[in-house]
Amino acid sequence: MSLSKLLERIAQLLPVLLGVSVIVFVMMALTPGDPVQIMIGDQSITPEQEAELRRGLGLDRPMIERFFIFLGNAVQFDFGESFYHRRPVGDVIAERLPATIELSLVALIVALVTAIPLGVLAAIRKNSIFDRIATVGSLLGVSLPGFWFGILLLMLFAVHLHILPVSGRIGFDAEVRMVTGFLLIDTLLAGNLRAFGDALAHLILPAITLGLPMTAILMRVTRTSMLEVLRQDYVTFADAKGLSRRRVLFRHALKNALIPTVSVAAIETGSLLGGNMIVETVFGWPGLGRLVVESIFLRNYPLVQAAVLFYAVTYVLLNFIADLLYTVLNPRVKL
Amino acid sequence: MTRLQKLLTASALALCAATPAALAADLTVGFTLDADTLDPANHRKRETETIIRNMYDGLLTRDSSMKVVPEIAESITQVSPTEYDFKLRTGVKFHDGSDMTAEDVKFTLDRITKDGGMGDGVTSPRQGLMGPVASVDIVSDDTVRITLSEPWPILPAMLPNQQIVSKAWVEKVGNDGVATSENGTGPFKLVEWRKGDAIIMERFDDYYGGAADIAPVGKACVDRVIFKVIPESASRVAALLAGDVDIINELPPFSVAQVKNNENTDVLTVNGTRSFFIAMNMQGEFFDDPKVREAAAHAIDKDLIIDRILGGNAARIDGILSPDAFGSSELPRYDYDLEKAKALLAEAGYPDGLDVTMDVEGAFKDTAEAVASLLTKAGIRTKVEVGEGAQLVDKWRTKGAPKTGDMYFTSWGNGSLDPFDIFTPTHRTNDRGNSAGYSNPELDALLDTAAVEMDTEKRAAMYHDAEMMINADIPYLYLWVPQDIYGVSKRLKGWKPSADSRINLHDACIE
Repeated sequence: MSLSKLLERIAQLLPVLLGVSVIVFVMMALTPGDPVQIMIGDQSITPEQEAELRRGLGLDRPMIERFFIFLGNAVQFDFGESFYHRRPVGDVIAERLPATIELSLVALIVALVTAIPLGVLAAIRKNSIFDRIATVGSLLGVSLPGFWFGILLLMLFAVHLHILPVSGRIGFDAEVRMVTGFLLIDTLLAGNLRAFGDALAHLILPAITLGLPMTAILMRVTRTSMLEVLRQDYVTFADAKGLSRRRVLFRHALKNALIPTVSVAAIETGSLLGGNMIVETVFGWPGLGRLVVESIFLRNYPLVQAAVLFYAVTYVLLNFIADLLYTVLNPRVKL
Repeated sequence: MTRLQKLLTASALALCAATPAALAADLTVGFTLDADTLDPANHRKRETETIIRNMYDGLLTRDSSMKVVPEIAESITQVSPTEYDFKLRTGVKFHDGSDMTAEDVKFTLDRITKDGGMGDGVTSPRQGLMGPVASVDIVSDDTVRITLSEPWPILPAMLPNQQIVSKAWVEKVGNDGVATSENGTGPFKLVEWRKGDAIIMERFDDYYGGAADIAPVGKACVDRVIFKVIPESASRVAALLAGDVDIINELPPFSVAQVKNNENTDVLTVNGTRSFFIAMNMQGEFFDDPKVREAAAHAIDKDLIIDRILGGNAARIDGILSPDAFGSSELPRYDYDLEKAKALLAEAGYPDGLDVTMDVEGAFKDTAEAVASLLTKAGIRTKVEVGEGAQLVDKWRTKGAPKTGDMYFTSWGNGSLDPFDIFTPTHRTNDRGNSAGYSNPELDALLDTAAVEMDTEKRAAMYHDAEMMINADIPYLYLWVPQDIYGVSKRLKGWKPSADSRINLHDACIE
C-alpha cells in the first residue's frame, strides 16, 4: 500500500472522530438524568452548595459552550476530569485498558485456535455426525448468555473443583512490577514463573467465556467459506492433478477460505476491545467495559465521552488492519 | 558478628521473607465497588468511604449500633447552639510517623467546607455533608472549635463522614497524590491499590487504638486487609463459598439459604437505613383525592411481601422513618383490607376501579410487580413500567415543576439515621426528593423548627408529630426498610455489620 493511501485512511479518521464526538456529547447531554442530583444522592443540601457542586463539574455553563470546551480540549488529548475519580479521564481509562486488551487478545487466540480447525473439519466432513455436533454447538455458543455460562464455569471450576480462582487478575501475594501492563508479559519479564502461572489461571475462565461466542461465529464462517472454496474449479483441478488431499486442503483451499474468517475476526476484535461488560463483571476483571457502564449510570460525562472516542478509533483501526490482511491473504485485492 | 552468625541471620531473614504469606492473617472482603479515589475529601460515594475508613480515622465515629462516639476527638462539648468544641487525643500518629495536631483537623475541615477549599478553585463534593459550618478555629493546642452559621443539631451525626488528613502531607503531595496514596491515622495503611481489582492494606503498628468506647482498643487484629472488587453478586457468593473471601456485602436474599447451608459460611444481617415507599402523584389525575390514596394504603399487604418476596429480611414502616432512626415512634397502621379499599374507591367515584402505571427501576421490578398485583386486586389496576434510575429521578423529583405519572416505587437512604436527612428532602414542599408533589405548610414549618431544635426530647416529639401528619395525609405508601445482608466465613470473629453499611475491620479477627 502506498503512503498516499495510508494518509488518505488517516484523513478519513478525522470526520469519523468529529461525528462521534458530536453524537456522544449530544446523546449524553440530552439523556435525562442530572449528574449533580445523582452525585448528591439522598442528602439534604442547600441550593448554594448544590450550585457550587454544579460549578465545580463545569455543568453550570450552557451545553453549546460545554461542547466547544470539550472539543477544544479533546484535540489536545485532554478529555477532562472524571466527575467521580476527580482525575483526568485519560489516566483512569489508561489504568483499565491493559486488563481489557490482555483478556481480549487471549480470548481471540482461544477463539482462533478452536474455531478454525473445527470449522475446517466440519466442512471436510460435511453432514457427518461431527459436523452436526459442531453446528449445534456453535448455535449454543452464540446463544448462551455470557453471565450464565461464566457463572456456571465459576461454580464448577472455582467453587466445586477448587482448581481455578473466582475473580481478579492475579493473587494478592504476587508482586509484579508493571512494565507493559500485560501481566502475562510482565511476569515473564520479571522471570517470576509462579506469578505467570497465577495470572494465566486467572485468565482461563474469563477468556473462555468471552471467546465462546466468537469461537462459534468464526467456526461457522470458516465452515461456510471452506465449503464454498472446496467447490471451486481450482480445487477440483488440484485434486485431479493427483496432489495429496492434505496438500490440496491446506495449501490451496484453506488460505483462500480464511479470508472471510480473518476479516470477521478483526471486526469482532473491536467489540472485544471495548471491554466486555458482562464478563468483566462476572469475573471481577478490572477492565474498561465495567468502568464505562458504571459511568453511564452515573452520568459521568467526561469518562463516557473519552471512552466512546477510544472505541471509535479502535474500530476504524481494526477495519484498516482487516483490509491490510486481506491484501496479504489475497494479493488480487489492491487497496 | 562472625561469618557464621551473619550467614545464620541472613538465612533466617530469607526464610522470614519467603514465608510471610503463609503466616500472615489476611482478611479479604468481596466488595461491590472499587474506591473512586483515596482522598477522603474528594469523593461522593458510600463504598469509597467504606474503604477509606479503614485507613483514615475521623473526629467521631459510630459503633455498629450506630451510636456516635469520639474517635480522634477525646470529648465533644457544645458551647452554644452554634459552637462545638472538640478536645483532641494526644499521641495520634499519621502513617508517615508524624503527630496529628489541631492544625491538621482545622486544615481537613477547611478543605471540605470552604468554597474552593481544595485549592485551584475546587470545592469539595462533600461540602454539603457538613451543613452550615461557618468556621473552624484552633482554641488551644488540643482543642478545635466548629462554629455554625445556624443551629444544626445533626453535626455530631454527620461528622463521622469526614476523616482527618495531614496538612503537611497534603501540601506536599497535592490533590493528585492524595487521590492515589494515603497518609491517615487509621488502623491500616495502604500497601497497594490495584485499580478496579483490589485494595491491599496492612496493619499500622503505631495505631493509637481507635475509639475508646468501642472495645477492643489497640492495634488491629489481622495483618492484612484486602478489599477485592467483585461487582456481580453471584460471583461474590461463589468467592465466599470457595473460601477466597471472608466477608461479602450485598448478599442477595435468594442466596441466603445457600450460604447458610454451607458448613464454612454464615449470614449476618443488620437493619439498613434505606426506606422504601411509593410516591403517589398528588398533582395527578387520581391521587389528588385522599380517598384514593387511602384505598391504595389498605390494598397493600406489606407483611406478605416482606415474608414472601424479601425472605423476611425487612422491617415494616408506617411513616418515613426507619424503626432505628432518631424520633421514630409507633404509628397507626393501614391494615390490609380489600373490601375497605374497594369501598373507598367507590366513594371517590371509581366503583369500577381505575388504571394507573407505576414507575420502577429494574432492580426492584419483582417487588413492584407484587405490589402492583395487590393494588390491582383492590381495583387500582396497576401496570409496572421499568425505567432507568437517573431518568426516573428526572421525571419524579422535579422540585416543584409539574410532573407526569401516577406512582413511583422508590426509596431514600438515611445513613445518619437522623430524620433531617430523609424527612425534609422527601416531604418538605418542593424539596429535592419530594416525588409525590406533597405540600403541607404546617408540616414544612414543623420540619424547619425541628431541624434546628437543640433539645433532643422536644425534637423527637416534633418528628413524632410530623410522622402523624404524613400518616394521615398519605402522600406516599410507606413500605419497609430492608436489612443489609452479609455473607461471612466462620473463621471471622469480632466483626458485626453496621447499619450505615461501613465495614470497619479494626476489631475483626481471623481464626
